[in-house]
Amino acid sequence: MQSESRVDPKIIEEILKFSKNVVEAPKLVSAPDEISLEVTKHDVVQEMDKTRLLHYKPLTDKQHKTPLLISYALINRFHILDIHPEKSWVRNLLEQGFDVYMLDWGTPTSMDKYLDFDDYVNGYLDAYVEYIKNETSTEKISLQGYCTGATIATAYATLHPESVKNYIATAPVIDGWRDTTVISNLAKHMDVDKMVEIIGNMPPEFMYYCFSVLKPFEQGIEKYVNFFKNIDNKRFVDNFIRVEKWLGDTPPIPGELFRQWIRDIYQDNLLIQNKMFIEGQHVDLKNITMPIFTQVAVADHLVSPECSMPLHYAIGSEDKTLRMYPTGHVGMIASSLSQKKVLPELGQWLAERS
Amino acid sequence: MQSESPKDITDYYKHLSLFWTDIIHLMSSKPQALTSIGPMRAFAANSKKISTELIEINEDLLEFNKHLTEYYKQLADTWTDAQKKVNLKAPEVPQDIEQIEAFKRIWIDIFDNDFTELFDSQKFGENYGKLVSKELELTKHWNNITNVILQSVNLPSKEEIDEVYKEIHSLKKRVGKLELELKKRSMKENAK
Repeated sequence: MQSESRVDPKIIEEILKFSKNVVEAPKLVSAPDEISLEVTKHDVVQEMDKTRLLHYKPLTDKQHKTPLLISYALINRFHILDIHPEKSWVRNLLEQGFDVYMLDWGTPTSMDKYLDFDDYVNGYLDAYVEYIKNETSTEKISLQGYCTGATIATAYATLHPESVKNYIATAPVIDGWRDTTVISNLAKHMDVDKMVEIIGNMPPEFMYYCFSVLKPFEQGIEKYVNFFKNIDNKRFVDNFIRVEKWLGDTPPIPGELFRQWIRDIYQDNLLIQNKMFIEGQHVDLKNITMPIFTQVAVADHLVSPECSMPLHYAIGSEDKTLRMYPTGHVGMIASSLSQKKVLPELGQWLAERS
Repeated sequence: MQSESPKDITDYYKHLSLFWTDIIHLMSSKPQALTSIGPMRAFAANSKKISTELIEINEDLLEFNKHLTEYYKQLADTWTDAQKKVNLKAPEVPQDIEQIEAFKRIWIDIFDNDFTELFDSQKFGENYGKLVSKELELTKHWNNITNVILQSVNLPSKEEIDEVYKEIHSLKKRVGKLELELKKRSMKENAK
Protein backbone atom coordinates (compact mmCIF):
# COMPACT_ATOMS: atom_id res chain seq x y z
CA MET A 1 0.00 0.00 0.00
CA GLN A 2 2.91 2.31 0.82
CA SER A 3 4.38 2.03 -2.71
CA GLU A 4 0.99 2.81 -4.29
CA SER A 5 0.75 6.08 -2.39
CA ARG A 6 4.21 7.14 -3.66
CA VAL A 7 3.25 7.09 -7.35
CA ASP A 8 3.30 10.63 -8.67
CA PRO A 9 -0.14 11.40 -10.16
CA LYS A 10 1.66 13.38 -12.86
CA ILE A 11 3.07 10.09 -14.17
CA ILE A 12 -0.44 8.71 -14.70
CA GLU A 13 -1.42 12.02 -16.28
CA GLU A 14 1.57 11.87 -18.65
CA ILE A 15 0.81 8.27 -19.64
CA LEU A 16 -2.83 9.14 -20.34
CA LYS A 17 -1.83 12.21 -22.33
CA PHE A 18 0.71 10.25 -24.33
CA SER A 19 -1.86 7.49 -25.08
CA LYS A 20 -4.37 10.13 -26.18
CA ASN A 21 -1.75 11.69 -28.49
CA VAL A 22 -1.02 8.30 -30.08
CA VAL A 23 -4.74 7.72 -30.71
CA GLU A 24 -5.27 11.22 -32.10
CA ALA A 25 -2.10 11.37 -34.20
CA PRO A 26 -3.70 10.16 -37.46
CA LYS A 27 -6.32 12.92 -37.18
CA LEU A 28 -3.74 15.65 -36.69
CA VAL A 29 -0.87 14.62 -38.94
CA SER A 30 -0.68 13.90 -42.66
CA ALA A 31 0.61 10.51 -43.74
CA PRO A 32 4.08 10.70 -45.32
CA ASP A 33 2.60 9.59 -48.66
CA GLU A 34 0.28 12.60 -48.65
CA ILE A 35 3.16 15.08 -48.47
CA SER A 36 5.10 16.36 -51.47
CA LEU A 37 8.74 17.05 -50.74
CA GLU A 38 9.31 19.13 -53.84
CA VAL A 39 8.66 22.50 -52.24
CA THR A 40 10.23 25.18 -54.41
CA LYS A 41 8.99 25.67 -57.97
CA HIS A 42 11.24 24.28 -60.66
CA ASP A 43 11.37 22.91 -64.20
CA VAL A 44 12.95 19.65 -65.26
CA VAL A 45 15.17 21.02 -67.99
CA GLN A 46 17.14 17.93 -68.96
CA GLU A 47 16.97 14.17 -68.48
CA MET A 48 19.57 11.48 -69.07
CA ASP A 49 18.70 7.86 -68.35
CA LYS A 50 17.20 8.02 -64.86
CA THR A 51 18.86 11.29 -63.85
CA ARG A 52 17.24 14.73 -64.11
CA LEU A 53 18.42 18.31 -64.07
CA LEU A 54 16.13 20.66 -62.15
CA HIS A 55 16.19 24.41 -62.65
CA TYR A 56 14.56 26.46 -59.88
CA LYS A 57 12.44 29.49 -60.69
CA PRO A 58 14.13 32.74 -59.61
CA LEU A 59 12.81 34.58 -56.56
CA THR A 60 14.62 37.86 -57.18
CA ASP A 61 14.55 40.36 -60.04
CA LYS A 62 18.32 40.44 -60.39
CA GLN A 63 20.52 37.37 -60.25
CA HIS A 64 24.24 36.72 -59.91
CA LYS A 65 25.82 35.92 -63.24
CA THR A 66 27.35 32.54 -62.45
CA PRO A 67 24.82 29.72 -62.12
CA LEU A 68 25.12 27.20 -59.29
CA LEU A 69 24.74 23.44 -59.80
CA ILE A 70 24.18 21.27 -56.73
CA SER A 71 25.41 17.68 -56.88
CA TYR A 72 23.37 15.94 -54.19
CA ALA A 73 24.47 12.75 -52.40
CA LEU A 74 23.84 9.23 -53.72
CA ILE A 75 22.10 8.25 -50.48
CA ASN A 76 18.51 9.43 -49.97
CA ARG A 77 17.27 12.13 -52.29
CA PHE A 78 17.85 15.81 -52.99
CA HIS A 79 14.61 16.78 -51.21
CA ILE A 80 16.44 17.45 -47.95
CA LEU A 81 17.87 20.57 -49.59
CA ASP A 82 14.33 21.79 -50.15
CA ILE A 83 12.51 20.02 -47.33
CA HIS A 84 10.41 22.88 -46.00
CA PRO A 85 9.90 26.49 -47.12
CA GLU A 86 11.37 27.76 -43.85
CA LYS A 87 14.37 25.43 -43.93
CA SER A 88 15.01 25.17 -47.64
CA TRP A 89 18.64 25.42 -48.71
CA VAL A 90 17.56 26.01 -52.30
CA ARG A 91 15.01 28.69 -51.47
CA ASN A 92 17.50 30.58 -49.35
CA LEU A 93 20.02 30.63 -52.21
CA LEU A 94 17.31 31.78 -54.63
CA GLU A 95 16.38 34.58 -52.23
CA GLN A 96 20.04 35.60 -52.21
CA GLY A 97 19.85 35.98 -55.98
CA PHE A 98 21.56 32.80 -57.18
CA ASP A 99 20.50 30.87 -60.27
CA VAL A 100 20.17 27.33 -58.86
CA TYR A 101 20.23 23.99 -60.66
CA MET A 102 19.92 20.61 -58.91
CA LEU A 103 21.08 17.22 -60.10
CA ASP A 104 18.65 14.44 -59.22
CA TRP A 105 20.46 11.11 -59.59
CA GLY A 106 17.14 9.25 -59.88
CA THR A 107 16.47 5.61 -59.05
CA PRO A 108 18.86 3.12 -60.65
CA THR A 109 17.46 -0.31 -61.51
CA SER A 110 19.19 -3.67 -62.05
CA MET A 111 19.96 -2.55 -65.57
CA ASP A 112 22.16 0.23 -64.19
CA LYS A 113 24.44 -2.03 -62.16
CA TYR A 114 27.43 -1.26 -64.42
CA LEU A 115 27.24 2.52 -63.95
CA ASP A 116 30.50 3.65 -62.41
CA PHE A 117 32.38 6.76 -61.31
CA ASP A 118 33.17 7.56 -64.93
CA ASP A 119 29.46 7.60 -65.84
CA TYR A 120 28.64 9.89 -62.94
CA VAL A 121 31.61 12.27 -63.25
CA ASN A 122 32.43 12.35 -66.96
CA GLY A 123 28.96 11.34 -68.10
CA TYR A 124 25.99 12.80 -66.26
CA LEU A 125 27.68 15.62 -64.34
CA ASP A 126 29.78 16.77 -67.28
CA ALA A 127 26.79 16.70 -69.64
CA TYR A 128 24.67 18.77 -67.25
CA VAL A 129 27.46 21.27 -66.66
CA GLU A 130 27.82 21.68 -70.43
CA TYR A 131 24.06 22.16 -70.73
CA ILE A 132 24.03 24.89 -68.05
CA LYS A 133 27.03 26.65 -69.59
CA ASN A 134 25.27 26.62 -72.93
CA GLU A 135 21.90 27.78 -71.56
CA THR A 136 23.35 30.60 -69.45
CA SER A 137 26.09 31.60 -71.89
CA THR A 138 28.76 31.26 -69.23
CA GLU A 139 32.14 29.58 -69.52
CA LYS A 140 32.20 28.34 -65.96
CA ILE A 141 29.68 27.49 -63.28
CA SER A 142 29.70 27.30 -59.49
CA LEU A 143 29.46 23.71 -58.24
CA GLN A 144 28.29 22.50 -54.85
CA GLY A 145 28.64 18.89 -53.72
CA TYR A 146 26.99 17.50 -50.62
CA CYS A 147 28.18 14.35 -48.78
CA THR A 148 28.85 11.60 -51.35
CA GLY A 149 27.75 14.03 -54.04
CA ALA A 150 30.76 16.13 -52.99
CA THR A 151 33.08 13.22 -53.73
CA ILE A 152 31.71 13.09 -57.26
CA ALA A 153 31.90 16.88 -57.52
CA THR A 154 35.47 16.86 -56.19
CA ALA A 155 36.48 14.31 -58.83
CA TYR A 156 34.75 16.49 -61.43
CA ALA A 157 36.55 19.63 -60.26
CA THR A 158 39.92 17.85 -60.60
CA LEU A 159 39.17 16.46 -64.07
CA HIS A 160 37.29 19.46 -65.50
CA PRO A 161 38.69 22.51 -63.66
CA GLU A 162 38.13 24.64 -66.74
CA SER A 163 34.34 24.41 -66.17
CA VAL A 164 34.24 25.21 -62.45
CA LYS A 165 34.50 28.82 -61.29
CA ASN A 166 33.79 28.17 -57.60
CA TYR A 167 33.54 24.91 -55.69
CA ILE A 168 31.58 24.38 -52.47
CA ALA A 169 32.23 21.10 -50.66
CA THR A 170 29.60 20.45 -48.00
CA ALA A 171 30.45 17.53 -45.67
CA PRO A 172 32.46 15.86 -48.43
CA VAL A 173 33.52 12.20 -48.15
CA ILE A 174 37.25 12.44 -48.85
CA ASP A 175 39.56 10.64 -46.42
CA GLY A 176 38.08 7.20 -45.65
CA TRP A 177 40.84 6.12 -43.28
CA ARG A 178 40.35 9.14 -41.03
CA ASP A 179 36.58 8.74 -40.94
CA THR A 180 35.57 7.82 -37.41
CA THR A 181 31.94 6.91 -38.08
CA VAL A 182 30.24 3.54 -37.73
CA ILE A 183 29.54 3.62 -41.50
CA SER A 184 33.25 3.66 -42.25
CA ASN A 185 33.85 0.70 -39.89
CA LEU A 186 31.20 -1.36 -41.72
CA ALA A 187 32.57 -0.28 -45.11
CA LYS A 188 36.13 -1.26 -44.22
CA HIS A 189 35.08 -4.84 -43.42
CA MET A 190 32.79 -5.31 -46.40
CA ASP A 191 33.46 -7.87 -49.15
CA VAL A 192 32.30 -5.40 -51.77
CA ASP A 193 33.34 -7.51 -54.78
CA LYS A 194 31.18 -10.40 -53.63
CA MET A 195 28.29 -8.05 -52.88
CA VAL A 196 28.32 -6.46 -56.33
CA GLU A 197 28.83 -9.79 -58.10
CA ILE A 198 25.91 -11.46 -56.35
CA ILE A 199 23.31 -8.75 -55.79
CA GLY A 200 24.35 -6.07 -58.28
CA ASN A 201 23.16 -2.71 -56.95
CA MET A 202 23.51 -1.82 -53.30
CA PRO A 203 19.94 -2.30 -52.00
CA PRO A 204 18.24 0.45 -49.96
CA GLU A 205 17.58 -2.07 -47.18
CA PHE A 206 21.31 -2.35 -46.53
CA MET A 207 21.49 1.43 -46.29
CA TYR A 208 18.64 1.41 -43.77
CA TYR A 209 20.59 -1.08 -41.66
CA CYS A 210 23.63 1.20 -41.75
CA PHE A 211 21.49 4.16 -40.65
CA SER A 212 19.83 2.14 -37.89
CA VAL A 213 23.13 1.59 -36.08
CA LEU A 214 23.77 5.32 -35.82
CA LYS A 215 22.65 6.44 -32.35
CA PRO A 216 20.14 3.56 -32.26
CA PHE A 217 18.31 4.50 -29.07
CA GLU A 218 18.12 8.25 -29.59
CA GLN A 219 17.00 7.77 -33.20
CA GLY A 220 15.03 4.57 -32.75
CA ILE A 221 13.08 5.36 -29.56
CA GLU A 222 13.45 8.89 -28.21
CA LYS A 223 12.79 10.54 -31.57
CA TYR A 224 9.39 8.85 -31.90
CA VAL A 225 8.46 9.46 -28.27
CA ASN A 226 9.12 13.17 -28.87
CA PHE A 227 7.00 13.05 -32.00
CA PHE A 228 3.94 11.79 -30.12
CA LYS A 229 4.59 14.13 -27.20
CA ASN A 230 4.59 17.11 -29.57
CA ILE A 231 1.68 16.01 -31.72
CA ASP A 232 -0.15 19.32 -31.14
CA ASN A 233 2.83 21.33 -32.38
CA LYS A 234 1.95 21.63 -36.07
CA ARG A 235 5.31 23.05 -37.11
CA PHE A 236 7.24 20.34 -35.27
CA VAL A 237 5.24 17.41 -36.64
CA ASP A 238 5.22 18.79 -40.18
CA ASN A 239 8.98 19.01 -40.17
CA PHE A 240 9.26 15.59 -38.49
CA ILE A 241 7.11 13.83 -41.10
CA ARG A 242 8.98 15.50 -43.95
CA VAL A 243 12.38 14.46 -42.62
CA GLU A 244 11.11 10.93 -41.84
CA LYS A 245 9.75 10.59 -45.36
CA TRP A 246 13.08 11.74 -46.74
CA LEU A 247 14.98 9.30 -44.47
CA GLY A 248 12.82 6.39 -45.58
CA ASP A 249 13.37 6.95 -49.27
CA THR A 250 16.82 6.03 -50.48
CA PRO A 251 17.48 4.69 -53.97
CA PRO A 252 19.79 1.74 -54.70
CA ILE A 253 23.39 2.62 -55.58
CA PRO A 254 24.68 1.21 -58.88
CA GLY A 255 26.91 -1.80 -58.17
CA GLU A 256 30.08 -0.71 -59.99
CA LEU A 257 29.90 2.79 -58.53
CA PHE A 258 29.43 1.30 -55.07
CA ARG A 259 32.36 -1.09 -55.58
CA GLN A 260 34.70 1.78 -56.55
CA TRP A 261 33.32 3.90 -53.78
CA ILE A 262 33.95 1.44 -50.97
CA ARG A 263 37.28 0.22 -52.34
CA ASP A 264 38.83 3.52 -53.46
CA ILE A 265 37.50 5.79 -50.70
CA TYR A 266 37.00 3.68 -47.56
CA GLN A 267 39.24 0.63 -48.00
CA ASP A 268 42.24 1.85 -50.03
CA ASN A 269 41.70 5.59 -49.41
CA LEU A 270 43.02 6.52 -52.86
CA LEU A 271 41.36 9.92 -53.31
CA ILE A 272 43.19 11.84 -50.60
CA GLN A 273 46.46 10.15 -51.52
CA ASN A 274 46.06 11.36 -55.12
CA LYS A 275 46.14 7.75 -56.32
CA MET A 276 42.60 7.48 -57.63
CA PHE A 277 41.89 6.92 -61.31
CA ILE A 278 38.59 7.20 -63.17
CA GLU A 279 38.62 5.40 -66.51
CA GLY A 280 42.36 5.94 -66.75
CA GLN A 281 42.19 9.63 -65.76
CA HIS A 282 44.23 10.63 -62.71
CA VAL A 283 42.14 12.35 -60.02
CA ASP A 284 44.75 14.74 -58.67
CA LEU A 285 43.39 17.06 -55.97
CA LYS A 286 46.15 19.57 -56.76
CA ASN A 287 44.22 20.28 -59.99
CA ILE A 288 41.61 22.06 -57.87
CA THR A 289 42.86 25.61 -58.09
CA MET A 290 39.54 27.48 -58.22
CA PRO A 291 38.13 29.22 -55.09
CA ILE A 292 36.79 26.59 -52.71
CA PHE A 293 34.53 26.80 -49.67
CA THR A 294 34.51 23.69 -47.44
CA GLN A 295 31.70 23.26 -44.90
CA VAL A 296 32.05 20.77 -42.08
CA ALA A 297 29.66 19.86 -39.23
CA VAL A 298 31.39 19.17 -35.93
CA ALA A 299 28.76 16.68 -34.75
CA ASP A 300 28.46 14.85 -38.07
CA HIS A 301 28.02 11.13 -37.36
CA LEU A 302 27.67 10.16 -41.04
CA VAL A 303 30.77 11.89 -42.41
CA SER A 304 33.10 12.83 -39.59
CA PRO A 305 34.95 16.19 -39.78
CA GLU A 306 38.23 14.22 -39.91
CA CYS A 307 37.03 12.68 -43.16
CA SER A 308 36.05 16.01 -44.80
CA MET A 309 38.67 18.47 -43.62
CA PRO A 310 41.70 16.96 -45.42
CA LEU A 311 40.26 18.28 -48.70
CA HIS A 312 40.99 21.83 -47.56
CA TYR A 313 44.68 21.01 -47.13
CA ALA A 314 45.14 18.74 -50.16
CA ILE A 315 43.96 21.03 -52.96
CA GLY A 316 45.96 23.49 -55.04
CA SER A 317 43.67 26.52 -54.48
CA GLU A 318 45.01 29.66 -52.89
CA ASP A 319 41.55 31.11 -52.31
CA LYS A 320 40.19 28.54 -49.87
CA THR A 321 37.91 28.79 -46.86
CA LEU A 322 37.06 26.17 -44.25
CA ARG A 323 34.01 26.65 -42.02
CA MET A 324 32.99 24.43 -39.12
CA TYR A 325 29.50 24.49 -37.66
CA PRO A 326 28.24 23.20 -34.29
CA THR A 327 25.63 20.88 -35.78
CA GLY A 328 25.19 17.51 -37.50
CA HIS A 329 25.13 16.19 -41.05
CA VAL A 330 21.52 17.17 -41.76
CA GLY A 331 21.51 20.13 -39.37
CA MET A 332 24.11 21.83 -41.53
CA ILE A 333 21.75 21.94 -44.54
CA ALA A 334 18.20 21.86 -43.18
CA SER A 335 17.85 23.66 -39.86
CA SER A 336 17.40 27.10 -38.42
CA LEU A 337 21.20 27.21 -37.97
CA SER A 338 21.69 26.60 -41.67
CA GLN A 339 19.28 29.44 -42.46
CA LYS A 340 20.75 31.88 -39.95
CA LYS A 341 24.46 31.13 -40.24
CA VAL A 342 25.55 28.51 -42.79
CA LEU A 343 23.71 29.90 -45.82
CA PRO A 344 24.38 33.62 -45.21
CA GLU A 345 28.11 32.86 -44.92
CA LEU A 346 28.04 30.74 -48.05
CA GLY A 347 25.97 33.32 -49.92
CA GLN A 348 28.36 36.12 -49.05
CA TRP A 349 31.38 34.07 -50.13
CA LEU A 350 29.73 32.98 -53.36
CA ALA A 351 28.32 36.41 -54.25
CA GLU A 352 31.80 37.93 -54.03
CA ARG A 353 32.96 35.38 -56.62
CA SER A 354 29.90 35.14 -58.89
CA MET B 1 33.76 -43.33 -41.92
CA GLN B 2 33.64 -43.05 -38.12
CA SER B 3 37.21 -41.78 -37.78
CA GLU B 4 36.76 -39.13 -40.46
CA SER B 5 36.08 -35.42 -39.88
CA PRO B 6 32.67 -33.74 -40.48
CA LYS B 7 34.10 -32.23 -43.70
CA ASP B 8 34.90 -35.74 -45.00
CA ILE B 9 31.42 -36.92 -44.08
CA THR B 10 29.86 -33.99 -45.94
CA ASP B 11 32.05 -34.71 -48.96
CA TYR B 12 31.04 -38.36 -48.79
CA TYR B 13 27.32 -37.54 -48.84
CA LYS B 14 27.89 -34.95 -51.55
CA HIS B 15 29.62 -37.62 -53.65
CA LEU B 16 26.87 -40.15 -52.84
CA SER B 17 24.16 -37.74 -53.92
CA LEU B 18 25.94 -36.74 -57.13
CA PHE B 19 26.74 -40.37 -57.94
CA TRP B 20 23.12 -41.46 -57.77
CA THR B 21 21.85 -38.33 -59.51
CA ASP B 22 24.29 -38.95 -62.36
CA ILE B 23 23.58 -42.66 -62.60
CA ILE B 24 19.82 -42.16 -62.58
CA HIS B 25 20.19 -39.42 -65.16
CA LEU B 26 22.29 -41.65 -67.45
CA MET B 27 19.97 -44.62 -66.96
CA SER B 28 16.90 -42.58 -67.77
CA SER B 29 18.27 -40.32 -70.49
CA LYS B 30 17.12 -42.47 -73.41
CA PRO B 31 13.41 -42.54 -72.58
CA GLN B 32 13.62 -38.84 -71.69
CA ALA B 33 14.99 -38.09 -75.13
CA LEU B 34 11.52 -38.75 -76.45
CA THR B 35 10.45 -35.52 -74.76
CA SER B 36 13.65 -33.65 -75.47
CA ILE B 37 12.09 -30.24 -75.90
CA GLY B 38 9.88 -30.21 -72.81
CA PRO B 39 10.77 -28.47 -69.55
CA MET B 40 11.07 -31.69 -67.57
CA ARG B 41 13.88 -32.95 -69.80
CA ALA B 42 15.85 -29.70 -69.37
CA PHE B 43 15.12 -29.70 -65.66
CA ALA B 44 16.24 -33.32 -65.22
CA ALA B 45 19.45 -32.64 -67.15
CA ASN B 46 20.35 -29.85 -64.72
CA SER B 47 18.82 -31.23 -61.57
CA LYS B 48 22.11 -32.43 -60.17
CA LYS B 49 23.14 -28.78 -59.95
CA ILE B 50 20.27 -28.32 -57.53
CA SER B 51 21.54 -31.23 -55.38
CA THR B 52 25.02 -29.69 -55.32
CA GLU B 53 23.67 -26.27 -54.43
CA LEU B 54 21.50 -27.67 -51.64
CA ILE B 55 24.43 -29.51 -50.10
CA GLU B 56 26.60 -26.39 -50.27
CA ILE B 57 23.78 -24.30 -48.82
CA ASN B 58 23.90 -26.51 -45.74
CA GLU B 59 27.63 -25.92 -45.37
CA ASP B 60 27.26 -22.16 -45.74
CA LEU B 61 24.25 -22.13 -43.46
CA LEU B 62 26.41 -23.56 -40.67
CA GLU B 63 28.93 -20.74 -41.11
CA PHE B 64 26.15 -18.16 -41.41
CA ASN B 65 24.60 -19.35 -38.14
CA LYS B 66 27.98 -19.20 -36.43
CA HIS B 67 28.38 -15.51 -37.34
CA LEU B 68 24.73 -14.76 -36.63
CA THR B 69 25.12 -16.25 -33.12
CA GLU B 70 28.24 -14.14 -32.58
CA TYR B 71 26.33 -11.07 -33.84
CA TYR B 72 23.52 -11.51 -31.32
CA LYS B 73 26.01 -12.41 -28.58
CA GLN B 74 27.82 -9.11 -29.13
CA LEU B 75 24.51 -7.23 -28.98
CA ALA B 76 23.38 -9.11 -25.86
CA ASP B 77 26.72 -8.61 -24.07
CA THR B 78 26.70 -4.90 -24.85
CA TRP B 79 23.10 -4.61 -23.64
CA THR B 80 23.98 -6.35 -20.34
CA ASP B 81 27.04 -4.16 -19.76
CA ALA B 82 25.12 -0.99 -20.60
CA GLN B 83 22.28 -1.95 -18.24
CA LYS B 84 24.81 -2.55 -15.44
CA LYS B 85 26.21 0.95 -16.00
CA VAL B 86 22.70 2.40 -15.88
CA ASN B 87 22.00 0.53 -12.62
CA LEU B 88 25.17 1.94 -11.08
CA LYS B 89 24.46 5.49 -12.18
CA ALA B 90 20.76 5.47 -11.35
CA PRO B 91 20.15 2.82 -8.70
CA GLU B 92 16.87 4.25 -7.40
CA VAL B 93 13.53 3.55 -9.06
CA PRO B 94 12.31 6.91 -10.45
CA GLN B 95 9.31 8.24 -8.54
CA ASP B 96 8.15 11.32 -10.40
CA ILE B 97 8.15 12.82 -13.90
CA GLU B 98 11.44 14.68 -13.44
CA GLN B 99 13.18 11.54 -12.20
CA ILE B 100 11.77 9.48 -15.06
CA GLU B 101 13.02 12.02 -17.58
CA ALA B 102 16.47 12.06 -15.94
CA PHE B 103 16.55 8.25 -15.86
CA LYS B 104 15.53 8.04 -19.50
CA ARG B 105 18.28 10.47 -20.49
CA ILE B 106 20.91 8.46 -18.60
CA TRP B 107 19.62 5.19 -20.12
CA ILE B 108 19.66 6.51 -23.70
CA ASP B 109 23.07 8.16 -23.35
CA ILE B 110 24.72 5.07 -21.90
CA PHE B 111 23.08 2.68 -24.37
CA ASP B 112 23.87 4.89 -27.37
CA ASN B 113 27.50 5.27 -26.26
CA ASP B 114 28.02 1.58 -25.60
CA PHE B 115 26.34 0.41 -28.80
CA THR B 116 28.16 3.00 -30.91
CA GLU B 117 31.40 1.77 -29.36
CA LEU B 118 30.44 -1.80 -30.32
CA PHE B 119 29.42 -0.92 -33.89
CA ASP B 120 32.66 1.01 -34.26
CA SER B 121 34.83 -1.86 -32.99
CA GLN B 122 36.97 -4.14 -35.12
CA LYS B 123 35.41 -7.30 -33.66
CA PHE B 124 31.92 -6.14 -34.71
CA GLY B 125 33.08 -4.97 -38.14
CA GLU B 126 34.87 -8.26 -38.86
CA ASN B 127 32.02 -10.48 -37.72
CA TYR B 128 29.38 -8.39 -39.46
CA GLY B 129 31.44 -8.43 -42.67
CA LYS B 130 31.64 -12.25 -42.51
CA LEU B 131 27.94 -12.52 -41.68
CA VAL B 132 26.99 -10.46 -44.74
CA SER B 133 29.48 -12.42 -46.84
CA LYS B 134 27.88 -15.74 -45.86
CA GLU B 135 24.43 -14.32 -46.49
CA LEU B 136 25.61 -13.37 -49.98
CA GLU B 137 26.87 -16.91 -50.58
CA LEU B 138 23.45 -18.24 -49.60
CA THR B 139 21.94 -15.79 -52.08
CA LYS B 140 24.33 -17.04 -54.73
CA HIS B 141 23.21 -20.66 -54.20
CA TRP B 142 19.61 -19.53 -54.43
CA ASN B 143 20.40 -17.67 -57.67
CA ASN B 144 22.03 -20.81 -59.08
CA ILE B 145 18.99 -22.95 -58.21
CA THR B 146 16.71 -20.36 -59.81
CA ASN B 147 18.90 -20.42 -62.94
CA VAL B 148 18.29 -24.17 -63.31
CA ILE B 149 14.55 -23.55 -63.24
CA LEU B 150 14.85 -20.63 -65.68
CA GLN B 151 16.89 -22.71 -68.10
CA SER B 152 14.31 -25.51 -67.95
CA VAL B 153 11.81 -23.13 -69.58
CA ASN B 154 14.36 -21.61 -71.96
CA LEU B 155 14.59 -18.28 -70.10
CA PRO B 156 17.92 -16.46 -69.78
CA SER B 157 19.94 -16.91 -66.60
CA LYS B 158 21.10 -14.02 -64.40
CA GLU B 159 24.57 -14.21 -65.96
CA GLU B 160 23.11 -13.99 -69.46
CA ILE B 161 20.97 -10.99 -68.51
CA ASP B 162 24.02 -9.38 -66.88
CA GLU B 163 25.93 -9.81 -70.13
CA VAL B 164 23.19 -7.91 -71.96
CA TYR B 165 23.21 -5.16 -69.32
CA LYS B 166 26.97 -4.87 -69.60
CA GLU B 167 26.81 -4.61 -73.37
CA ILE B 168 24.06 -1.96 -73.20
CA HIS B 169 26.02 -0.01 -70.63
CA SER B 170 29.14 -0.09 -72.75
CA LEU B 171 27.25 1.04 -75.85
CA LYS B 172 25.44 3.83 -74.01
CA LYS B 173 28.71 5.05 -72.57
CA ARG B 174 30.34 5.19 -75.98
CA VAL B 175 27.37 6.93 -77.59
CA GLY B 176 27.07 9.38 -74.66
CA LYS B 177 30.73 10.35 -74.90
CA LEU B 178 30.53 10.81 -78.64
CA GLU B 179 27.42 12.99 -78.28
CA LEU B 180 29.08 15.12 -75.60
CA GLU B 181 32.22 15.48 -77.67
CA LEU B 182 30.15 16.59 -80.68
CA LYS B 183 28.25 19.12 -78.54
CA LYS B 184 31.47 20.56 -77.14
CA ARG B 185 32.96 20.86 -80.61
CA SER B 186 29.87 22.54 -82.00
CA MET B 187 29.81 24.97 -79.04
CA LYS B 188 33.47 25.84 -79.68
CA GLU B 189 32.79 26.38 -83.35
CA ASN B 190 29.77 28.55 -82.59
CA ALA B 191 31.85 30.62 -80.19
CA LYS B 192 34.36 31.30 -83.01
